[in-house]
Amino acid sequence: MASVHESLYFNPMISNGVVQANIFGIKDWVTPYKIALLALLHEMSTTKPMALLDRRRLNKLILPLQQGPDLTFEQLLSTVEECCAPMVNAVKLRYVCTLHCSCPLELFTESYRTWSLYMRQMLLAYNKLSFSQVYKLYKTLQQYCRQGQRPPRDFSTLELDAGSLHQSDLGCDEARGPLSQKQAEYFLARQAYLLKNDENKAMRPATLQEELNNILKFNPDFAEAHYLSYLNSVRVQDLYISTHSLLHYFDRLILCGGEGKSNGDEGYGRSLRYAVLNLATLHCRFGHYQQADLALQEAIRIAQEANDHVCLQHCLSWLYTLEQMKGSDSVTLTEDSVKMAAHFCLPYLASLGVQSLVQQGATQGIPANRLLDALRGTDVVHWKQSLSELVEISLAQTASIWRLYGKSTMAQQQVQLLLGMASLESVNYGVQQNNTEPFAIALCHLAELHADQGLYGAVGDIIKHLKQQFPSHTQHSKLWMLCDLKIQFEKAMNSGKFHLAEPHVTAIGALDSMEGLYRKAQLLRALNQMSEASKILQQVQQLGVKKRNTEMIIRVMLATAELHWDSSGFSASLPLLLQALTLTHTHNLQSLESETILHLAFTQLMLGVPEQALALVQAVLESVLAHGALLKKGRALLLMARCQAVLATSTMQYVTVEMAVQTLAEAAVFFTQLGCKPRLRDVYYLQARLYHTLGNVQERNKCALLFRLLNQELPPGSSIAATPL
Amino acid sequence: KPASPNVLPGAVEDTRNMAATLSGEFADLAQIKKQLISVIAQCKERGLVHSVKASELAFSLPSLPLDEVPPALPLTEEDALDLDALCLAKSYFDLKEYDRAAYFLRGCRSQKAYFLYMYSRYLSGEKKKDDETVDSLGPLEKGQVRNEALRELRVELSKKHSAGELDGFALYLYGVVLRKLDLLKEAVNIFVAATHALPLHWGAWLELCNLITNTEMLKSLSLPDCWVRDFFMAHVYTELQMIKEALQKYQSLTEAGLTKSTYIISQIAVAYHNIRDIDQALGLFNELREQDPFRIENMDTFSNLLYVRSMKPELSYLAHNLVEIDKYRVETCCVIGNYYSLRSQHEKAALYFQRALKLNPRCLGAWTLMGHEYMEMKNTSAAIQAYRHAIEVNKRDYRAWYGLGQTYEILKMPFYSLYYYRKAHQLRPNDSRMLVALGECYEKLSQQIEAKKCYWRAYSVGDVERMALLKLAKLHEQLNESDDAAQCYIIYIQDIFSCGEQLEHAEVSTALRYLGQYYFKNKLYDEASLCAQRCCDYNDAREEGKALLRQISAVREQGESSSTDLSLPIVFNPLSNTTTPVRRVAPLDLSSVTP
Repeated sequence: MASVHESLYFNPMISNGVVQANIFGIKDWVTPYKIALLALLHEMSTTKPMALLDRRRLNKLILPLQQGPDLTFEQLLSTVEECCAPMVNAVKLRYVCTLHCSCPLELFTESYRTWSLYMRQMLLAYNKLSFSQVYKLYKTLQQYCRQGQRPPRDFSTLELDAGSLHQSDLGCDEARGPLSQKQAEYFLARQAYLLKNDENKAMRPATLQEELNNILKFNPDFAEAHYLSYLNSVRVQDLYISTHSLLHYFDRLILCGGEGKSNGDEGYGRSLRYAVLNLATLHCRFGHYQQADLALQEAIRIAQEANDHVCLQHCLSWLYTLEQMKGSDSVTLTEDSVKMAAHFCLPYLASLGVQSLVQQGATQGIPANRLLDALRGTDVVHWKQSLSELVEISLAQTASIWRLYGKSTMAQQQVQLLLGMASLESVNYGVQQNNTEPFAIALCHLAELHADQGLYGAVGDIIKHLKQQFPSHTQHSKLWMLCDLKIQFEKAMNSGKFHLAEPHVTAIGALDSMEGLYRKAQLLRALNQMSEASKILQQVQQLGVKKRNTEMIIRVMLATAELHWDSSGFSASLPLLLQALTLTHTHNLQSLESETILHLAFTQLMLGVPEQALALVQAVLESVLAHGALLKKGRALLLMARCQAVLATSTMQYVTVEMAVQTLAEAAVFFTQLGCKPRLRDVYYLQARLYHTLGNVQERNKCALLFRLLNQELPPGSSIAATPL
Repeated sequence: KPASPNVLPGAVEDTRNMAATLSGEFADLAQIKKQLISVIAQCKERGLVHSVKASELAFSLPSLPLDEVPPALPLTEEDALDLDALCLAKSYFDLKEYDRAAYFLRGCRSQKAYFLYMYSRYLSGEKKKDDETVDSLGPLEKGQVRNEALRELRVELSKKHSAGELDGFALYLYGVVLRKLDLLKEAVNIFVAATHALPLHWGAWLELCNLITNTEMLKSLSLPDCWVRDFFMAHVYTELQMIKEALQKYQSLTEAGLTKSTYIISQIAVAYHNIRDIDQALGLFNELREQDPFRIENMDTFSNLLYVRSMKPELSYLAHNLVEIDKYRVETCCVIGNYYSLRSQHEKAALYFQRALKLNPRCLGAWTLMGHEYMEMKNTSAAIQAYRHAIEVNKRDYRAWYGLGQTYEILKMPFYSLYYYRKAHQLRPNDSRMLVALGECYEKLSQQIEAKKCYWRAYSVGDVERMALLKLAKLHEQLNESDDAAQCYIIYIQDIFSCGEQLEHAEVSTALRYLGQYYFKNKLYDEASLCAQRCCDYNDAREEGKALLRQISAVREQGESSSTDLSLPIVFNPLSNTTTPVRRVAPLDLSSVTP
């Protein structure tokens, strides 16, 4: 019923009282630029002797020229000149010839085999023109030619009082005509692709918006431009314009959708559903969870009424994303989504669901083999369907999981795999590496892994690269900012420059409040402000429980145990450490597990059971040396040496003492690499004492000197006891 | 030039006071008439056909005796030199052969000839632009078609302007050229200068009015102190939706002796239409039609009013009349569209609105009205398109935003429509219809708190449809907030009875029924029986009323009679409209009464 009225009484083609040429299905029309392009094509196909290289260059030039916006004659000629200089004059001549024949296109008809489609389009468009339009075309052809011939633009007749006249008022329109529908479509598609994959290469937000406004001014019915405007304003976090553009796009689309398909009502209803769904995603992006929830419910309701399962699946996947963003448990929802998506053969949604499940599972302690199996299963689907986006996510996720488990080598391997993989879509537009979130995450991991090994030069390079690829105004820039700050904080803390670490804490807190609090507690502890540190740690503990961040909970437990040590409450720290140990076991967090064991060993050492402590350290030493960071390796060795020293002094075994000295020397190498002076000082102190026991005066004096030098360099407040582990 | 004291920036109060005061020149109407006659002659010489409409005003003033009629302006030497060329060019100009006129004027020196020369070049460009729009090279080019002459005109005029050689009319033309080139800031300055140079030329004022977007901008302009300024202010107030001020201004203009002016009458009528004072507006339009029976301007507004009041015969008469006068006018098409719409022939109505749009694609009202027609035809997608077009023409068209909201609401997408209703509400913050619509959407989304706020606000700003309170009461009823619900019903009943007129959708019976039950539950039997008796006046509630009465008497027989001295019947409590409903209606301790 509705469509009948539509066709009878509302024809969008006669809106504004003007019958558009579109009604004949022609998307293109004749402009002087296109005639010039035809001249070029003609010359190319008729001039037989031409250098192969020139011909190749020209061939490569044709497609961008044909799809791009109209250029001035000058610009066109100079582009051609770059490729093949002798062509310029030929094209110029050929173009001028067109002015002198009755139909500007007839010159080209003889040889239009190679580029027949383009030629046919032009011919069709030309044949539709009325006499006055042809006359106008003739005038513009003349004008176009004249522009090309006069070397500098000549406005002397017009610009008499340049003070009040803007150059742009006068000049711009001559150079840039409106885009034809084909050109506009190409422009939009390209920009949208770049926005998704490599934001840096897309136009700047302001210029892009200007360009879009321009397109919309010439053709307000060009709905896709509104959508790109939506994407563009989301990029700069402009809620007002993005909502406006999104709704405008769908208002426009609703009619187009109904018109194109045989079943008008279906297309129309469909775009309605997706309109609401898109609105929900918009609110999701801006963090308006309640609004997003309402919109999503609405989308689900109308999708249900229309029995649209595909749309429903999209809704479901957004529903669990929303739940996840709100911080509530969404495992059941996600599982349902995966099952249903698989049932309706929607591979993208299904594997997205699996990936989301894996992410949740990793934090909730699902066994590693199940997670990795699941990822491998989806990988097969990705490669089959060539879902390159998901392949990237999957790799980045695997790397993150390996790091979570404390297997740095595996993580590094996955990161390298992702970075080394030529993107599946890189064929287009010369984008070598897509600037998507997985790449940002992978690079951040790489930076942190390098920082762990004390390779700060490499870290600097990686961060620099990140800065270039993801400038600070872009969506994923927060990732590397946080990563950079963490590394700098660690570096400052390790070298005992607490005043340098302080500003980083504030900055970290701005990006990630929980992490910021945790770091603040660490800093306060280093500055001997125990009660404040303890208060903050309690706060973090509560936050961690609320957000189910097991990793953070364990780290807080370890930090609290350290606080207990500072007040000599070694026995009080034991239950905390044991609890942490159970947690690390259940969640497969190997790096944290070895850390906890080291803490336990130290506690035991302090409680007077060095044998037990030594046994514990030796048990984890292998995994620490294999996967741990430099600092951790050094600390483990230092602890072992301490245990050995205590045992040796009690039993007076010189062999053990020498072993302890050896271990200390190894630890010293790690600490020097890292520039960790407070700990290095401890090492020298201990070494000097041990040499003293051994009676090696020369070595003792050397160590004592080194100790003294370091002690002068370091702030006086920090005593030896400040770095227990 | 010094700014006149009235236009100095000041508080809103200033504008209120300003609206009442008039320029002192209104004391001498004969003088005004003389000025008018002379300026009309000048406009006529220069081919400014629309400005000649100032004769409307001159006509309304008493005619002058012969000796006082102002003589034509004396000719200067230059004028005499150009006289023949000017004469020839003017005749070509009148025949719309602009290029030809310009050609013969190219060497002339006098101001008059120069203006006509430039003006014909401008009009020639405009005419060519219009012709070209029809056969442009392609669809995307249609926004690109432009008046090619504008840039050259601008350069020439700006040269003359900086040399100080432009008179009032030429300044006006310069302003128009600038506006067409979208150089609005410069255009405003030039128009202000034009009004200073020639305050009597209404065209310059009118152009200026179109460029003023807000009150701050209005206050910052320094305008000449002339009687024309009062007309201008009134016009601007209407455009800026400051209807109260505009009405005041027009009122004082009529009081100053311009009672017969059809222009003022039509403006007042439009103003009343804008604030939905339908009766006043209808009266004025009828008066207008008596005085000027062949008038077509503003008749679309008149037809809107007739439509709202469902006055079929009057609307039909108007439509017949206008078709006789000129059927190819936008206003005529709109009137016919309205006529068909009222007769529920929506297809035909849409057809006529489309015809209006073909005559003038920038006719805002027609787009919106066409949207309404498509809505009636349940063709939602076409309606959405029509509303969108309306918004593109004028972003501030609240009816189109509201229409879009309604469309999506019909499509059962209340959340989606919230955005549109909010837009409409922003544009008309004190219009209860948007608020009620917003409230309904929130209610559908089960956001009761927001819904309550909307309904209450709708009631507070003066509910036109008298639905807000009823909806609020029902909402309270659903949420089991019986006290609040009862309070709302009470105000609702008072409201309905105090306004006097019978409303079709009034649900007094629902309110009474609820109140009866409410009092009964709270054991206020006297009030309950009063309500129950009133219930019996309504067909749909009669049975329940009787049942309630029976229940009351049953309860009364069991116990003693209810407390008569405890409180006055609450229905008759004085309730101020501005207070929010109190939580408890009647904090009564009735424990002593209970048997």
